[in-house]
Parts: sequence; structure tokens; C-alpha cells
Amino acid sequence: MDVSQYLEIFIDETSEHIQSLNDCIMNLEQEPDNKDTINEIFRAAHSLKGMAGTMGFKRMQHLTHDMENVFSEVRNDKVKVNGEMIDVLFQCLDAIEGYLETIKSTSDEGTEEHEDIITKLNEMLNGGGAAAPAEAPKAEAPAEAPKAAAYEEKFLDAEFNDSDKQAVKDKEKEGLKIYGVTVYVDQKCLLKSARAFLVFKAIEEIGSIVYYNPSSQDIEDEKFDFDFNIIVATDHSLEDVLNAAKGVLEIENAVGREISSAELENEAGNDVAAPAEVTEETKNVPQVKTQAASTGNKAPANKQAVTSRTVRVDIEKLDTLMNQVSELIIAKNSLVSISSAEGAGGQSASFTEQIEYLERITTMLHESVMKARMVPIESVVNKFPRMIRDLSKTLNKKMELVMSGEDTELDRTVVDQIGDPLQHLLRNSADHGLESDELRIKRGKPEVGKIFLNAYQEGNNVVIEVGDDGNGIDTQQVKQKAIERGLVSADQAETLSQKEIIDFLFMPGFSMAKKVSDISGRGVGLDVVKSNIEALGGDVEVKSNLGEGSKFIVRLPLTLAIIQALMVEIEDEKYAIALGSIQNIEDIPASDVKYVQAKEVITLRGSVIPLIRLDKMLDVERKDPEAEEKKTNLTVVIVKKGDNFAGLVVDRLMGQQEIVIKSLGKYINNNKMISGATILGDGEVALILDANTLI
Amino acid sequence: MADNKLLMTEADAKQYIVVKIGNEQYGIDISYIDNIVRMQKITRVPKAQSYFKGIINLRGEVVPVMTIRVRMGLDMDEFTNDTRIIILKMEEHGKLGVIVDQVKEVVTLTPNEIDPYIPDTRDEKSAFIKGIGKHSDQLISLLELNSIIEDKEAI
Repeated sequence: MDVSQYLEIFIDETSEHIQSLNDCIMNLEQEPDNKDTINEIFRAAHSLKGMAGTMGFKRMQHLTHDMENVFSEVRNDKVKVNGEMIDVLFQCLDAIEGYLETIKSTSDEGTEEHEDIITKLNEMLNGGGAAAPAEAPKAEAPAEAPKAAAYEEKFLDAEFNDSDKQAVKDKEKEGLKIYGVTVYVDQKCLLKSARAFLVFKAIEEIGSIVYYNPSSQDIEDEKFDFDFNIIVATDHSLEDVLNAAKGVLEIENAVGREISSAELENEAGNDVAAPAEVTEETKNVPQVKTQAASTGNKAPANKQAVTSRTVRVDIEKLDTLMNQVSELIIAKNSLVSISSAEGAGGQSASFTEQIEYLERITTMLHESVMKARMVPIESVVNKFPRMIRDLSKTLNKKMELVMSGEDTELDRTVVDQIGDPLQHLLRNSADHGLESDELRIKRGKPEVGKIFLNAYQEGNNVVIEVGDDGNGIDTQQVKQKAIERGLVSADQAETLSQKEIIDFLFMPGFSMAKKVSDISGRGVGLDVVKSNIEALGGDVEVKSNLGEGSKFIVRLPLTLAIIQALMVEIEDEKYAIALGSIQNIEDIPASDVKYVQAKEVITLRGSVIPLIRLDKMLDVERKDPEAEEKKTNLTVVIVKKGDNFAGLVVDRLMGQQEIVIKSLGKYINNNKMISGATILGDGEVALILDANTLI
Repeated sequence: MADNKLLMTEADAKQYIVVKIGNEQYGIDISYIDNIVRMQKITRVPKAQSYFKGIINLRGEVVPVMTIRVRMGLDMDEFTNDTRIIILKMEEHGKLGVIVDQVKEVVTLTPNEIDPYIPDTRDEKSAFIKGIGKHSDQLISLLELNSIIEDKEAI
């Protein structure tokens, strides 16, 4: 049997344990005496060790073993939790994560020993009292002893056929001792068959197994509860056999005694012993149950019931599914266009009805596929509290992170790529945003700086706000810096709005940090954040009040592949505008167009909105420029980006449509106005306008 | 010995599709060609490089189309019944369409039927040719696709 098939489970489980350890240790730092947390940590560390051991990752096992020892001492009140210990534990976690990363990429744990951490862990143990690591398992032993009463010998319950009996007899004749052994696997054990396999291996080193119950095939397929029976022929003592079995991790116990082949013969017709065993059995059942319940209470990580309802699917399969749904939508669109092109004549009402039915189904199908691809942003933001804690130490500032909306869901691809930009914004807040402790006190603010991350859904977008209650952006300073760098002249700078000044921060190489630190200030920052987010079809906005703090608002689309769009026509070219960015559509008399600084604007319900002539913007060739000039009415699509509006002048509106976004490929110089292309129902290709870049 | 030599050259022989662009014949390595399609409606992409005619729908896939005439400094294409779009499949960049005036035939050229072509370093366009093939009594300029797709206009 090969353990590689468990590698994936191992990786998933290990990351979960690491995350829960991270959270728990953070808790522990706040409440060093919380017994529940300590127990939880102990359990997670123990499982980690066990899993690493099963998979044969010796170095990882070693490290987690030492970590577990420390917690065992903490649990027994022999060592006190202190700041230094927390630091070492975090280092230890990072090291384990390092192993996991190596395992992920190479299926091997690598060669890093992390001696320094192990030494530190051991120092903690020795410094914390006379308790040596070796004592830890002993401390556990008495606790387990009473349980042993519940383990009974079941190996004679089974049915033996003649060949089994013969095999036992043969061994007996060879002068070997025959032992019946029942092995109990820990009820929390996830890889039961792997454990059983290890037990067999251990026992076969000192003897041979003549009989399995359940059969070895069933054991390998995990078709057994938490115990299995074997009959062993060996010249070693019973003690040796049992110890070999118990030596395997997550084996709760092994019981057995010497038997003879005669006993097997009698077993079938043994009417006296059978009822006795049955009563024992029934007695035993409630015991086992209570035990299961108590372990259930102890371990909230009893996930079996939950995991059985979910399926892990390769993201590639979902991508393929999504592509096929996209194709289906294109096909549906062409059906719709054919049915409307042929007009009402000749078509039965039921045909139109069926087309409408098809439309509903494809829309629903698309939604379901989209939902299947959605994951909570939790997986990304979970690591931030730890990061802020570390930053707080390095920067020597007191700060706390408050998060909300971790359960907000986003497309998997977006979630995978949003981590870095968010991390950067948080670092920014921690480093630049928050003032030093002294300054905060002087300003009458709470000493502990507050950094927040709020996520919520807003229409077809997900909004993630990252901010702090620190100093805010000093626009004067930014302006100064921009002038110094020759980005604007001093005169021009005076006329800039606050927003325009803040936009300088997003320029490549623009850094406000007075000194370069590990955390930020290299000038490769906000511009990368911005381009990363724009690559995902989102945008970033900044709100800042000097002295009160700043807030970065990241807006992301729920999905990347399919959107609702308004189709418009300019001359004979067709363009799509995402419905999400459209505010409303207006019909405006040409005489209403006014000029501000030689630019066309319209006033609409009290606000001044700049007009953008799409034909000029997109270099559309006019067949009859004069007729264009004489137009008395303009069709204007009002689009918004954050708080800004713009009016796009188009020739005709063609209606709303569900479109599948396709990339233009890498050859064509991507001018930012076009965010992609889509295939229309009649097979024609239309371009998708990115309203955000037009404003 | 003679057999051996023949075998070797046959193994090294490559097939080229011969196309007409303007008055000249060009050869395109067949291993790069995904497909040849008839002229169809091309959607213009504003602000793209001048030699990109636009994009087409190739069975549900959006493929950019280049006019090789403009790339080579010739006049704009005139589309006739013979005009074809050759869909090239380049490894890293995906598919790309190239408009040619006519597709003529497929020829097999062995290395000794190809004369090396020394590009004129002053002329970017001469880098588009990697050799001259001789087939019967015709001359075929073999296109260096990588330098054609390489973008000098990009900023």
C-alpha cells in the first residue's frame, strides 16, 4: 500500500490545522490561561504530528513532536505561557508551513531541520521545570488506563473456515505461539487503513499474521469500524506483539492473549461462551457511545459529518464547465436572434415559449456554475490577524485588526489573486497610516491603532474596504512630492482636487515613506495594487481625512466570465457596456450641450456631467459627417465609477444582453478602453468598452 | 552511402504552404498553421497597431487578424475571392490570423533547397525572411514568423 494517495488529504488537513493553530496561538497570547485554547492547540499539534508520521515526513514529525511536548507541559501547568514562547511557537508554525509548501511542490518535506527552533522549544521545556519530554507520554498514560477496560478481545467472534484453521495448526506445529489480537484505532483517526497497514508492518517484523478479520482487502478499503482482529504466529512474547501494535500512532489500544488451534475449532460450536460474549458486547455498546460523545465534545474538529456533504473539485473542471456554459449561452443568443429576425410571421407561439424557457434555464445554469466557483474570502483574510500581530511587533506600534464580512463570497480566481493587494493595503495602513503610540496619545486617540477590513456585496460587485484610524493622507505632502518629482508644476498643483492629488500615490515609483523599511516604502506598491485589482476587472478608490484616517475601497466583480451588458451601436460598429456601470440612459437635445474649459458637458438633475463622444474616442469613420453635425438629439448613456459620472454619446441602443467575455489575446496592444470582446448571436464579434477607464 | 544522405535530407525536409502576397510568393512553415479560413467580417479594434485589421470569431474563439501587407509596408489589402486568413498557432501567444492574397500549394523543401538570407540590419522588414527556397523554377521567401509577430510598434 502506498501513502501517496493520501497526500492531498494530508495537505488539506495540515493547512487546516496550521490555520487553527495560528488562530489559537493568537488567542493564547490574549488569554494565556485559557484551558480550552491550550487543549485545542495540543490536539491540533498532536494530529499534525500523527499525520506527518503516517506520511513518513520525519523532520516535520520531529518538529511537531517537540511542539506538542511544550503544550503537554503547558496543559499540565508545568510551564507558563509567555511572550517569548508565543514568538517561538509562531516561528515553529512558519517552519511547519514551510515544510507543507515544500511537500506541496515536491511531495517531499525537504531537508531543512529547523534545529534552532527545536533547541528553543526544548529550552522552554527545561527552563519551565524539571519536566523532560520523555515524561509527557507518561503523563498521558494514566488517563488512558481506565479506558482500557472497554477494550475487549473480539478476535474469536469471527468465523473461521477450514483453511484458516489449518494455517493456524500448521504454525502451531512449527512450535510458534499463536496470539489473537484486537487492535483499536483512535476514533478521530482519519486514515484508518494507513494505521492498520502500519500495525501489520510492525507485527510482521516479529512474526507472521495468519488471519485477518475483516479481510485484509476490507481493511485496506477502510471497511471496518474502529477495531480489527488478527491472529499472529510468532516466537516473541505477547507483550512484544501488543507493543508493536501500540507503537503505531493513533492506535488507541491493542489487546490479546495466547490461543490454541483447538479454541478455533471450538469457537463455532461454543454455545456457552457465545451468550456471555454477547452480554458483554451489549454492555459495551453504550460505553463506546459515551466515549464517542465525549471525544466529540473535546474535539470540535469532528468534521466527518460536514465533509461528507462537500466534494473537492479540481478548479480546472469548473473552468471547463464554465466555458461550456459560455458556449451554451452564445448558442442560445444566436437562437434568440434567429427567432427575432424571422419575426412574428410563421412562428408558432410555442416556439417562442420554448426559447424563453431555454433562456431561463441557461441563466439559472450560469448562476449555479458561478456559485459553484464562489468561495468565501475567509481563506485569504484568515492570515491577516497574524500578519498584523507580527507587524505590530516589528513596527513597535500597538494595533488591532477588526474584520467583518469574512464570509463574503467571490469567484475562486478573484479570491486567489486578491490576497497580495489586500496584504499590501494592510501593511500600508500599519506602516504609514497609523501614528506612533506616543503621537496617538498626544492627539487624544486611543493608544491602540485600529485597522479594519470590511467586506460586503453591493449589487454585482463585492466591496472590500481596508483602512485605519491613523493620520490619513497628507495631501500637502503628496503635492510637494509630486512637484519635487516634476510630475506637475507648482502652479498646476494648486488647481488639483484632493482626489487628483491622491491619485499620485498610485503612480509607479511614487513613495511617501521617508525611509525604506521591510514593510513598505520602496515605491513598488500602490501602483501594483491598482494594476492587480484592475486586472481582475475591479477598481480602487481612496477616501482620506487628514488626522482621522484613510480608507481604501476595493471594488471587484462577482464573476469574470459572463456579464449583463447594454449593446450600443456607433455607425455600424457594435460595442457592449457592462450594465453594472450604467446609471441611466438619457435622450438629450443637442442644444443642451454646454462647454466648460472647452469640453462638452451636460447638466442633469443639477449635476454637471462631462460628455464623451464615443465616435471620436474610438476613431469611428463617419460615412456622413455632416448629418452627424446636424443631429438634434443625442442618445447618452450615463456611466458611473464610484462617485464620478460621464455621459457616453452613442448612435443607437440595441438592448440588453448576456455576454461572454473573451480576451483579445496578447498580440493586440491593449488600449485600456477595450476590456475584451464577445461573440454575438449572429457570430459577429463586438468589443466590450470599459467605462471605468473612459471616466 | 548515397541512400543514407538521401534519408537524412528527407528527415530534415519541411513542408511549407506557399502563399501570394502582392507579386511575391512566400512560404509559411506548415507546423505553425492551425487552419486556413475564408475571408470573413473583421471587427475593427480602435487604437490597435496599424497592421492589426481587427478580430474575428473562429468557431467561438476570438482571434486577432494581422494584415501582412501593411506589416511589410505594402498597400492595404484588396479582398478578392482568393483572399484567405491563415490561422497560425504560436506556442506562447495563442492564435493569430494573417491575411494573404492567395493560397497556392504545399511544397516540401530540403535544407539544400534553401539559400540562407542575410537580413539587412537597417531594415526591420528584412528580418521577416529567414531564407529563400527554390522549388522547380520558382523562388519562395520563407517567413520568419517570430519576428513578424514581434511587436516593434508597442510602447
